[in-house]
Amino acid sequence: MLRIIIAALLMLAGLFVLGVATIGIFRFSTMLNRIHIAAKCDTLGALLVLSSLIVLSGMTIFSLKLLLVIIFLWLSNPVSSHLVARAEVKTNPDLNKICDFMRFDEQGNLIKLNIKTDDEVSAS
Amino acid sequence: MFEEFKNLWRRFYNWTVGNGPRPENEVIPPEPPPDLPFTRRLELKRSRFQERPLASRYNEWLERKSLHVFSMLYLGMSILTCLLFMALLLSTVAELPSFGDANNPVNNEVIKRYIERGGQETGAQNIVAGMILDYRAFDTFGESAVLFTAAISVLMLLGAVRRADTEEISIDLNNASDGILRRGPPSLNLKITTGFTPRIHMFRKNDAILRGVAVLSIPAIILLGLTVIINGHLSPGGGFSGGAILSVALMLCANAYGFEQVHAFFDEHVFIRFSSLALMIYAVLKGWSFFSGANHIESGIPTGTIGEILSGGLILPLNICVGLIVAGTLYGFYALFSEGEI
Amino acid sequence: MIIIEWILLIFLIVCAIAVSISRSLLNSVIIFMSYSLVMAVIWILLQSPDLAITEAAVGAGVTSTLFYLALKRIGRQHEAAKDKSDSKN
Repeated sequence: MLRIIIAALLMLAGLFVLGVATIGIFRFSTMLNRIHIAAKCDTLGALLVLSSLIVLSGMTIFSLKLLLVIIFLWLSNPVSSHLVARAEVKTNPDLNKICDFMRFDEQGNLIKLNIKTDDEVSAS
Repeated sequence: MFEEFKNLWRRFYNWTVGNGPRPENEVIPPEPPPDLPFTRRLELKRSRFQERPLASRYNEWLERKSLHVFSMLYLGMSILTCLLFMALLLSTVAELPSFGDANNPVNNEVIKRYIERGGQETGAQNIVAGMILDYRAFDTFGESAVLFTAAISVLMLLGAVRRADTEEISIDLNNASDGILRRGPPSLNLKITTGFTPRIHMFRKNDAILRGVAVLSIPAIILLGLTVIINGHLSPGGGFSGGAILSVALMLCANAYGFEQVHAFFDEHVFIRFSSLALMIYAVLKGWSFFSGANHIESGIPTGTIGEILSGGLILPLNICVGLIVAGTLYGFYALFSEGEI
Repeated sequence: MIIIEWILLIFLIVCAIAVSISRSLLNSVIIFMSYSLVMAVIWILLQSPDLAITEAAVGAGVTSTLFYLALKRIGRQHEAAKDKSDSKN
């Protein structure tokens, strides 16, 4: 009984996080915002849902497979989001109009590129 | 009556010609400037009415109208073909027996034989593998040969393209090798005429995060692919899916560490040699099996006990052959499409 | 379980129509990828795991990668042709 309650709580939490991710993808406008919400919430939501299934099935070979699925998702999901975001930063020349970004120069010093002041933000 | 009609006609005529009375608030569009000087226009007009040989007029017509006519013809033919195929397929569907009926021709003695004695005759626990690699092995041979042929054709086609635009590809690689974020390639002067700025496609190879994950995941992916291939006669999977998984591992390696690293052990010659060797082994083994089976000779291929790795007669070596071909071909497609060479 | 099958089949049909309707080729490729994924789930529900593995590996994985690469190649050649015509003018 306790196991079912824990599993249900985990599953509800996971579904809530996944729902938040779906709403966020539709609400946000720019590519990087969408990547942000999709990567974080998908990773957490998949963890919660799969761990609820693990709790439900107990110590079996099936839950070991689910653990492997969790490991695979936690490896692949952030990396794929990172690559997509990196491709966006690399290929979109208009990106500095909508957000600030910084980079390292050859000596490893941080250079801030076109950081807006508060007046400029309020004016725009 | 007649006068009214005449007035109406005159007003209509004036309206079409443009001489009639205009409403006051009508905006008269400015006269478009003449695009050609008058003498040039006269020349054109004269040349249009001159007697010219039929060939030149035909050429001119081709130049002006051929694309339009071809596109119309193409549209019509495509619609016609689609309708024809739709009618053909729908008429075939109408004649098919209903789904799940016990008296269907699918439920004949062949399927009963496969299910009852498939494991005994082929030695495979997975009946599907026994079917596609033992009873129907020539179909799978045709699949592998088609894949190999497709890879060879793409190699020829894209090899020609690579020779044509080597310059641009080398420029792209130069830009990708340094670590500076650029707005545009320096040596390829892009002229921006409209407000739309073209995106610059380039990819980088020194990505620490991707490399760190690739170190962890490439061995696991290769292990999974080998498992799927070797257990093809015991569990779901087989040469085709296992080969696809292996090719994915090669693609990940190429993406994380650069194509040169894969090129060190897998290039064009290795690909062609391995694929031809696998196809030949397949053809010889299966040819012998079919020949001996058709002539009722003892083929000398042990089936082994069901459920072990070394069982199933020829299924395991054939699976390995198909897996090698598929892995090489799919990675070859990837490398050809992205780099222009394997 | 039959409800899930119905939902998946309807999603499959919607995907198949959206692939051909979609204006952008990249969108078409992504929708086609999701079509393959749903198709793999349906194969598992129809109890043919062999086909499901092959569909997930080939249809959703390798084929869409090849489509992306083909699109990238087309775009590069398109931009190169545009540059040439611009420098002529």
